[in-house]
Amino acid sequence: MSRKVCIIGGATTPFDYGPTGFESIEGGAAECVREVMRDIPDFNLRDIDMMIYSHFSVHFGHQLSAEWIIHDHLGLVGVPHYRVENGGNTGGSALYAAALAVKSGQHDVVGVIGWETMDSVSQSQGSEFIALASDIRYELMVGGIYPIYYAAMANKWMRENKVTEEDVALIAVKNRNNAMDNPKAQWYRNEHRYITVDDVLNSRLISYPIKKYDCCLMTRGVAFLLVTTEEYAKKVNPDHYVTIDGMGLSSCTIRAGDRLNFPGWIERYGPGYPEMTEFAACRQSAEVAYKQAGIDNPLKQIDFGEIHDAFSTSEAQIYKALGLADSENIAQFIRDKETYLEGSIPMNPGGGLMGYGHPVGATGLMSAIEAYYQLAGLIPKKHLSSKTQVPDPHTGIVNSHAGTGTSISNFILRRV
Amino acid sequence: MVKKKFAETPNFTIRKDFRPLDVKEKGLVFVGYEISDDKKTMNQFLHYDQLYTIRHGWNSPFFIGLLEGKIMGTRCPKCGDTWVPPRTHCWNLDCNLQRTEWIEMPKKAKVHTWTVAGWSGRSSLKRLPIILVYGVIEGSKTAIANELHGVNPWDVEFNMPLKVVFKPKEQRIGAITDWHFEPADEWEPSPMNKEKERIKKLVEPVYEWVKTLK
Repeated sequence: MSRKVCIIGGATTPFDYGPTGFESIEGGAAECVREVMRDIPDFNLRDIDMMIYSHFSVHFGHQLSAEWIIHDHLGLVGVPHYRVENGGNTGGSALYAAALAVKSGQHDVVGVIGWETMDSVSQSQGSEFIALASDIRYELMVGGIYPIYYAAMANKWMRENKVTEEDVALIAVKNRNNAMDNPKAQWYRNEHRYITVDDVLNSRLISYPIKKYDCCLMTRGVAFLLVTTEEYAKKVNPDHYVTIDGMGLSSCTIRAGDRLNFPGWIERYGPGYPEMTEFAACRQSAEVAYKQAGIDNPLKQIDFGEIHDAFSTSEAQIYKALGLADSENIAQFIRDKETYLEGSIPMNPGGGLMGYGHPVGATGLMSAIEAYYQLAGLIPKKHLSSKTQVPDPHTGIVNSHAGTGTSISNFILRRV
Repeated sequence: MVKKKFAETPNFTIRKDFRPLDVKEKGLVFVGYEISDDKKTMNQFLHYDQLYTIRHGWNSPFFIGLLEGKIMGTRCPKCGDTWVPPRTHCWNLDCNLQRTEWIEMPKKAKVHTWTVAGWSGRSSLKRLPIILVYGVIEGSKTAIANELHGVNPWDVEFNMPLKVVFKPKEQRIGAITDWHFEPADEWEPSPMNKEKERIKKLVEPVYEWVKTLK
């Protein structure tokens, strides 16, 4: 029987575009750790026996091995460290690596620090940098940016699932309005307003059917997460830790057009799946995580989630890949606001990528931190009020997502 | 002592340089800074320009094909699966990474899915709005992304027949932008409907915005 893996604490800097108050990455990292030290007075930096760094693109920081700057700034010389990079799923993959390290018995207390500084170049140049994670030989010059690839996938998916622009706008509204209760959220700190479905529908075209408010934000931000054994969790933070009861990581093609007839998927799920519309790597990694956590009815057995809403459309596609709805009822599921705070499975109560922000390397960690806060009952302390606290949650899902669905991880977190 | 060679050195006899005059390699240069009025915060500006060599290696026939106005795909001699973009080894695990063979593909395709872009990366902004389609080239197991020209953005349809159209030979650069999709000759747009009106409404401001770009 392998060891239980726990999340015992975590914090982010404010997420912002432009000044955050923590401009240097090492300064931001130190402030995140200081917040966790305030939350867990018995936690000491000397307890950390491994650090994993989560960072997507050197292009934004223009600093190779930037984790080395952070690591010795924290005073951690001698402690093993390495960096994980896996596109938009960098944070999820770093958490996966940390959990494996603890599960294996090799390490007991693993710190994970993620960051991205996307405001070091213009927005359109930033979009182009991110698109360097498409296959630049075949795709970069004919789409230019990820929202276009996502829009092409979503356009077909929405048609086949009878989901409308108004439906997905409900998701964009939900996440941004949730962020208005979260002082670290970029939406709260910048545009700072409640929006409506009409605001989304009237925002500028990015790529049909995606408009500006269907898209996530570009962000500067840092996050820190503490992943440990249960023994350590009980020692330093017995009342506020959660266990990772299931975790899955899966992969799909880099070019979305290559997954139509991929033998590896036909073998698993039969012909015609994932097409160019479904996130097969999300379905598969969720299946793995569900099995480990003993979940056979996710809608009934999961209380909430922090998931990768890079686009309102992709959040909808993720609902389906997670098995919360099928082609027959997905549109109604969205219209019934089942993922709003008052619904049966609130999604992104922390604001998600559209509300909180998407500093790529920090994003998956932010999702895990928010899920941890929910399960540990810390939302009233960390947000502005208790209205974004999911009532009495036992089980949450954390989802991190890369490329055009190219790498996806899912984690089942449970309150102890 | 004669240095041992582990790979044949290709003899590059054709070389074309079409770098715009304003693109210069400067490497890393600190080009300025700004300081806040309270003298507490500083931003520094770093410029970085570097020429990269993309070595196409075994994928070269595809890119050389573009210069010749051909769409080159590959086919697995064992299972027969065929791809554009090409794969130099088969994706079927039963074929044990079988090396594939090059074949010229027909210039006919079908729209698998599509979108109309009103925003893009820095280098594509002036070409907006762009219709991007994922088209399946006849015989291919995969779809390939490229632009669709010769049609109003609101008239694109799923499954519409396409043809591959190359730029004139002298304008080709050996990149994916050497060709685009156009509707097949027999295709006619369907009458306006609610969705088309919606797309038209979304796209019209994009035309106006592009006019304001320098």
